[in-house]
Amino acid sequence: MPDPRLEKLADVLVGYSTAIRPGDVVRIEGNPPTTPLIRELYRASVRAGAHPTAGLVVDEAVEALLEDGTEEQLDWVPLDVRWALEHGDVWIVLDGPENTRHLSGADPARMARRVRARDPYQTRYLERSHRGEFRWVLCGYPTEALAQAAGMSLSGFEELVYRAAFLDAGDPVAAWERFGARLDLLGAFLAGKTELRIVAEDTDLSFGVGGRTWIPSKGMSNLPDGEVFTGPVEASVEGTIRFSFPATIRGRQADDVRLRFEGGEVVEASATRGEGFLREMIGMDDGARRVGEFAFGLNDAVTEYTGSLLLDEKIGGTVHLALGHSVPGTGGENASALHWDMVCDLRRGGEVYADGELVYRDGVFLDGASS
Amino acid sequence: MRDPRVERLAGLMTGYSLRLGPGQVMRINGEESALPLATALYRSALARGALPYLNVIPAALDEILLADASEEQLAFISGGEQLQTEQVDAWGTIWSSSNTRALTRIDPARRRTHLSAQFRLVNRLWQRVSTGELALCGTLFPTQAHAQDAEMSLAQYEDFVYGACHVDGDADPIAHWESVSAQLTARARQLDGVRELRILGPDTDLRVIVEGRPWIPSDGRHNMPDGEVFTSPVEAGTEGEIYFAFPSIFQGREVEDVRLWFEGGRVVRADASTGQDYLRALIGTDEGAAVLGEVAFGLNYEIDRFTRDILFDEKIGGTMHVALGGGFDEAGTKNTSDLHWDLICDLRADGEVYADGELVWRAGNFLIEPAVARA
Repeated sequence: MPDPRLEKLADVLVGYSTAIRPGDVVRIEGNPPTTPLIRELYRASVRAGAHPTAGLVVDEAVEALLEDGTEEQLDWVPLDVRWALEHGDVWIVLDGPENTRHLSGADPARMARRVRARDPYQTRYLERSHRGEFRWVLCGYPTEALAQAAGMSLSGFEELVYRAAFLDAGDPVAAWERFGARLDLLGAFLAGKTELRIVAEDTDLSFGVGGRTWIPSKGMSNLPDGEVFTGPVEASVEGTIRFSFPATIRGRQADDVRLRFEGGEVVEASATRGEGFLREMIGMDDGARRVGEFAFGLNDAVTEYTGSLLLDEKIGGTVHLALGHSVPGTGGENASALHWDMVCDLRRGGEVYADGELVYRDGVFLDGASS
Repeated sequence: MRDPRVERLAGLMTGYSLRLGPGQVMRINGEESALPLATALYRSALARGALPYLNVIPAALDEILLADASEEQLAFISGGEQLQTEQVDAWGTIWSSSNTRALTRIDPARRRTHLSAQFRLVNRLWQRVSTGELALCGTLFPTQAHAQDAEMSLAQYEDFVYGACHVDGDADPIAHWESVSAQLTARARQLDGVRELRILGPDTDLRVIVEGRPWIPSDGRHNMPDGEVFTSPVEAGTEGEIYFAFPSIFQGREVEDVRLWFEGGRVVRADASTGQDYLRALIGTDEGAAVLGEVAFGLNYEIDRFTRDILFDEKIGGTMHVALGGGFDEAGTKNTSDLHWDLICDLRADGEVYADGELVWRAGNFLIEPAVARA
């Protein structure tokens, strides 16, 4: 019998995140371990009157392409993917890897080339999504590999993920709606600010946010979710920041990353492990030295670091900053092939000042900010 | 450990069946259980410089659709499917059921609605095959479900499947299939001159007119394994009776001991020991369902037993099969029907076939070898 939590999760994804309507053309994809959820999503989509198709994402094929593919093959985007991004209504992607490090040995330049080939389609679907013609969601699915990366058992990790998706609420959709309303208020509060300053151990970072848009991320395009993000004014970032958790991207990692910014650019970067990799990423292109995103993690059901970015960047009481490409809709203007999120824990002694006023301490917004 | 036969099968399909070339777009279709072969096909296509992509789906989604969808949803074809049907250069399909009987309790009317929508795409694919725009090949990846139907262990069934595809040894499978192709082509050219076939066997004495109908070799381009020559008989010419010792299966349901009597090309009586009502209902599908659309010789002698899967059964070396229903345009058919049901007649023990009065086949073998043209 399928895990009854999967049916609930499917209801949230279909009924809330993507709000599937009759006649919608829906694409559902995920790694092979996610098939139990794909099946529930397929059923829920059919019952919602939509036209779902499903496809498995096969890591071994991606590995083979990265290893053996010619440039023509790396640059080619399959017909079904192109059509779904340009003409489909809904796209649900389930991230449930069998091995979180399967690309650790792949050539970063070839990986970047494959990602770049998809840029035009990515831009297209982000535009379509901005205009409300396309709804997409990335959902984390607990697998042995993710549990192992988090240093816990599968059942423990499942509980963490499902709690973070509010499945233990009597009515998860209603819980997401309530939570979303809270994030909207917080977004409105932050929209009135021009400068933020983050203070914590080894961290004192200031940047402008005036004129930029804060976007509440409330379970529509990520699940689990819970953050409010914007794109800082690029040239205004000054100071230092030390990231509490390992920074991972494309199957590789750098530990204890410290960055110093001057005039919006990284001028010093160090890590206790993976420093070479860190510098390689930052040197990828001009935009990789600048900040594309700043965000508050606000999901209090996520309390511990798991090594899975989808969860880590949502940990209630953290902030994260991304080097590289800006997120459309925030007003951010930075362009890069990189978008690397790094998380800084503010739960013990961290402070945030908005236009000189203390608004956040020890991982929590002070009264008046979030209500 | 990887089974080296899977890689050889993949290489055979891309190199021989599909003749995949650089820059060609290949769609690889299958269910999750086919992943080892699907990824092997993907790798093999990459190595040939093609542009492959996987369309691998979890098992049993059609069961969900057939259970819960509206009529409109059942008949829906997305623009994405249409686009791919028009643009892909090579289409590789892997059958690998997890349960060959999963759909037997589904309402047949709902299933027809779904299938007839899907057939529009399938027909378009075959149209593109006939104009040479598309290469298309289907194969099977061994699963417990198929092994169970064949009454074998999975390991025995794997040996059977890979043996039938000729990918189980060190010999080059492409060279094997090229030689099979030459033989089958020569056999087809020889049969082209025949006016009437008379099939004699246990409870069987059937005359089929094939005059003017071209014979077509099935040589591993569209099916793997393969090995038959077939044509579509002259519609009004079939006379006599025929007995099918193997169970006859249509959409997962079996009919046993089928006997058919023909007059003036049409079935006039149809009996079976089990499933007789189903048999008669199928023959009553439409006008063309009581008429033969195909007659064929099964010539793959590495397929030596009945396994309840038409991909293999119709090619059993030493059998013949006829199909009730729609025939093949390229074989000059005039019969159309929504039905195409292959029924297999075992002639290996004491069957005989006469071509225009001359004995040409006895106990499952042609008596004279055709002259094979050198390539």
